[in-house]
This record gives sequence, C-alpha cells and structure tokens, in this order.
Amino acid sequence: MKPRTQVVLLATLMSATAWGQEVSLYGTTMAQMWKQETPGFDKSTFTPATQYLGIDATKLGTDNLSLHLFGWGRTDLSDASNFDGSKSGGYLNYGYLQYRFDQANAEIKAGRFTANQATGFEQIDGVSARTDLKGGFAVSAFAGKPVYYKTVDPRNQNDYEFQRDFIVGTRLSWRMPKVGEFGLSYLQDGTKAAKDLDIPSAVDYTRKMLGADVHLAPASAFDLRGRTVFNVANERTNIAEHDYTATVKLGSQVTVTGNYAERNFLYYFAGTNLPSLFRQDENDMFRGIGGSITWNAPTGVQLVGDYRHMHRETFGDVNRAGGEIRWASSEKTFLGGVGGHWVNAANTKFVDPRTPYRSLSHKEARIWGMVTRGKLTGSLDAILQRYDTDNPYLVGIRNVYEVVGSLGYQATSNVKVSGDVSYGSTPVARHETRGLLRAEYRFGFARKGGR
Amino acid sequence: MARKSVFKIIGIALGLGVLMACSLISPETSFAATHPQELGAGRPICSECHSNDVAKGALKPYASFDHTPTFVKDHRFQANQDSNTCATCHAQSFCADCHGGKVPMKPSTRFSDRPDRETPHRGDFMTQHRIEGKMDPSSCYACHGRANNEKCAACHR
Repeated sequence: MKPRTQVVLLATLMSATAWGQEVSLYGTTMAQMWKQETPGFDKSTFTPATQYLGIDATKLGTDNLSLHLFGWGRTDLSDASNFDGSKSGGYLNYGYLQYRFDQANAEIKAGRFTANQATGFEQIDGVSARTDLKGGFAVSAFAGKPVYYKTVDPRNQNDYEFQRDFIVGTRLSWRMPKVGEFGLSYLQDGTKAAKDLDIPSAVDYTRKMLGADVHLAPASAFDLRGRTVFNVANERTNIAEHDYTATVKLGSQVTVTGNYAERNFLYYFAGTNLPSLFRQDENDMFRGIGGSITWNAPTGVQLVGDYRHMHRETFGDVNRAGGEIRWASSEKTFLGGVGGHWVNAANTKFVDPRTPYRSLSHKEARIWGMVTRGKLTGSLDAILQRYDTDNPYLVGIRNVYEVVGSLGYQATSNVKVSGDVSYGSTPVARHETRGLLRAEYRFGFARKGGR
Repeated sequence: MARKSVFKIIGIALGLGVLMACSLISPETSFAATHPQELGAGRPICSECHSNDVAKGALKPYASFDHTPTFVKDHRFQANQDSNTCATCHAQSFCADCHGGKVPMKPSTRFSDRPDRETPHRGDFMTQHRIEGKMDPSSCYACHGRANNEKCAACHR
C-alpha cells in the first residue's frame, strides 16, 4: 500500500472513532539512551524516542461494530540507530473494522490485520470472516493484499511485490465435545511466480501450503495439539513441518509435556524474503525432541525442569537442559524466579574447525523479581551466560551478562511512569550502560486492550 | 435473452446457496466479548475456577486454556485454531507486542520492567543467536522469515 493511501486510510479510520460510544486510547512513550564504543568504529550516542499508540472504539452505531488501530513511530534525537542510517521510522501494525455477531462466534474484519486462521501468520490488507457451523464444524477465510516488507536486495523489491499480488487462506474444522478438534487449512500467497516475470528470477516469493491440525483433549488430564504442514507448490506434495506437543496432568499439581518437531527447510522456508539466511537447502532439516515437568505447589511456588535435544542435518546436535523456580505471593505483590540452563553444543560443526571443543556450549543463569508496594513498583532482572575459554566468537571474554533495574510509579489507575537502568558486558561492548524512561497511559472505557 | 436467463439462474443459485449456508450456521450464542471478571496479575489457570466444564463453543475442557509454561510457549496452536477464545481477555495489541510484523525494539527491552513476561531475546542475544540460528533457523523463521528482519538483513545479505 502506498504511503499516501495509508495516510488517507488511517485518517478515515481515525475519524470513524468519533462514532464510537466507547473509545479507549492507550499508548506508551519511551525515551532511551545509551553510548556505544565498538573497536574500529566511532563512539556513538543513541537517544531514540518511541511512541506506541492504540485506539479501540466499540459500539460504532451498533453494539457489534468496532474499530481497532495500533502502530508506532520512532525518531533518533542524536546518532542514527537504524541500520540504514535513517533517523526515523514508523509502522501501522493493524487498523481494522470488526463486526462480531451474537451467534456462532461469527465475525467479519476489514482493513489491515493479522490473519492466523490457517498455516501461516500473515499481515494482510483485506477481509476475513469466520463462523461456527452446526454439528461442531467451523469455517474461516481471509483474502487480500499481503503487507510488503523490504527485501535484502532492493533490486528484488519489484519482483517481490509482483509475485505477492494476492493472498488467500481458509480453514475448515470439526470439534467434538470431550474429544477435541481437527482442522484442515490452505494458504496461497501470490498468484504469480518467479517464472512469470519477464526475466525469470531465481527467488520465488510465492507459496502454497496445506495444513492439518489436531487438538485432542478428551479429559482435563490429557491434551495433544499439533500440526503437519505440506508444501503443495510443486507437482509432488512435500512435508514442510511436523510439530506436536502432548501434555499430561498428574493430579492438580504436576504437568508433564513432550514435544516433537521436524522441519524440512526446502519446503518450510518457501517464500522467505531473506533467502540468504533461510536457505532452502533440500539436504537440510531440523528435528527436535524434548519435554518438561512442572510442579505447581499450593504455596505459589512453581518448579519447571526441561530438556531438549536438537539435531540439524548439516550442523550437528545440541542438548539443552535446565530448570526454573518461580514464586508468587498470595496477593501477587511479589513475583520472582531463578533459573539455570546448560547448553552442550560440543557435537556441532563449523563453529571453529581448528578447535571444535570450543563450541558455543555455555551455562546460563537468570534471577529476577518484581515487587509492588502501593503505587510503587520495582523489578530487577539479571542474566549471565558463561562460555568456554577463548571462544573465537567472544573476543577473549567468558562472561556475557546484563542486569536491568526498574522503578515505576502508578500515578493513577490509567497512568504509570517508570525508568530503567541496565548494565552489561558483551563481545561488542565490554561495558554498556543504558537508560530508559517510559510513560504508559490509557484513557477510555475498555479494560482489555494491551493485557 | 439467453444472457439474462443465465444471470437469473446464477442469482437464484447464489440465493439458495446463501440460504443453505445460513441454515448451516450454528445457533449457539457467541463467546463473551470480555471475561466477566477482571483477572489478577500473573498467568491464569482457567481450570482453577472452571473445574471440569467444557468451554461453550470451543467444546474443550477449560484446562486446555490453562496458561502453563507449555501453553505460553506453544500458544500458536490455540491462536490458529480459535483466536476468539484468546480475544476474551487479550486485545490484538497483546499479540502485536511481539508479533507486530515490524517492531522498533526487541520485546524484552520494551517490557524490561516486566521480567515475569516470557519475552524473547533477553540479555545479549546477538551472541546467543549464533547458536540458536545455527541449530534451528526454523525457530527464527516464524517471526523473521518473512517480516521484521531488517536488522537480520544488515549482516545476512
């Protein structure tokens, strides 16, 4: 969508809020500051100011019609912090009208919104609709113009927009009480392909995906959910992804989960606008298997232990294991946690072929806490990663850490101001101090927005 | 004349189709637009109050919506299957906090005063991403594969 069209659409949508009987406006204003000293580069001072703004206007003439807008703008008050050297930026994340029917969970949306009814998670300028049908069936669909992002090579931008001319998706599902839900979905992004260009391009931004999802929940003690996605763009249908998680509740306090995931990169990465990073290699794939056990003690303590084995065909294996203890006081005026993880990446390739044992294996520890006393809030969050000695990626340091302290004041139920100071050490900046000021506010009726 | 007849037949067929489709629509009332009671801080465990009931419309036990650590991590399944249930408590801006398509800073910076939230990329993720990305680039793909990747593109050209 062209900037001028966006401005006209935004102005029209915003003026429509005047019809709303219940209008709520919420926003966050943030000012950050940090200095950076990177060897080989000039010293820089960054002071970006960022404004988030959202509007929800409900009961637009009728109780069921509402308008929702959310976006942000940002400008650098000193050195440019954007990678392209620009000092400002902004984005409309969504802006749509929604009509919710009183019956069948039916709804219609029009405008810019995120569609997640099918196998993808897509931002579109278009329309969507859904409804429940008799017999436990439900159907949903969306169609429109996909929202464009920048390609890595600006010379490819025209090809990218040519190919992604239209997006459509649909999902049909069936639910059975105390059994679960089964769904079939289809997503097509682009009706033209790279081969349709005057000069055929090597990069194909279009894709056609078919998904099958399942959620089995026969009893509150057992739950299995997951999906398999097929890439159907070629003559032969190929599996892009399997991802399944099973949860078993042992009594009211203990939960055990297991997950299996597999992704084949040639089919899973179809349509990426960053092909240099998400490489469609037919010989490459990821497989992960893991699980966790959680104990929710009645005293507000939660203990979690987790393990995951990850295998990548062209890279090797990594094991990750650890645990976390969380605690919440009965009035939730104190929340806290302490956790640790161990990552063994010794059996991997390419990190440093001369010294393979100096991999990115590391140990991670985190401790955090949040306190609320009347109108005052405070939090502390510290994270440390300890790597092997002389790791080639870490320019001689072993410990990478960050500590963030925050103090806030809830001036009214709708206004809160807070300030953060963080200090850390990384391979890029041995000593880095950052400051952040934040003002959050909300005016109007609805209490849901932002939660 | 023949053309008019074709249009009439198509019109009648469409009308009958719409009527048939309407007769297929569930007569059940929709989910509540908002949760009737305000929920406290922290992650809600729906089954604490709703015991073994099956959620109307979703036809699943309320325990399926318990915000356990696994649910928080794998919430995409629920969002894909029935975002209406999410909308009872969450506005879409809650999703946009992390999945904005294009965001000006990493969520853990924006919500640095909320360490209880499961925001991604805490600490020095620039170092961490070398192993995370090498091991499982598909985990990056969900957010950065087709959007929100201008910072990735600065190095990965």
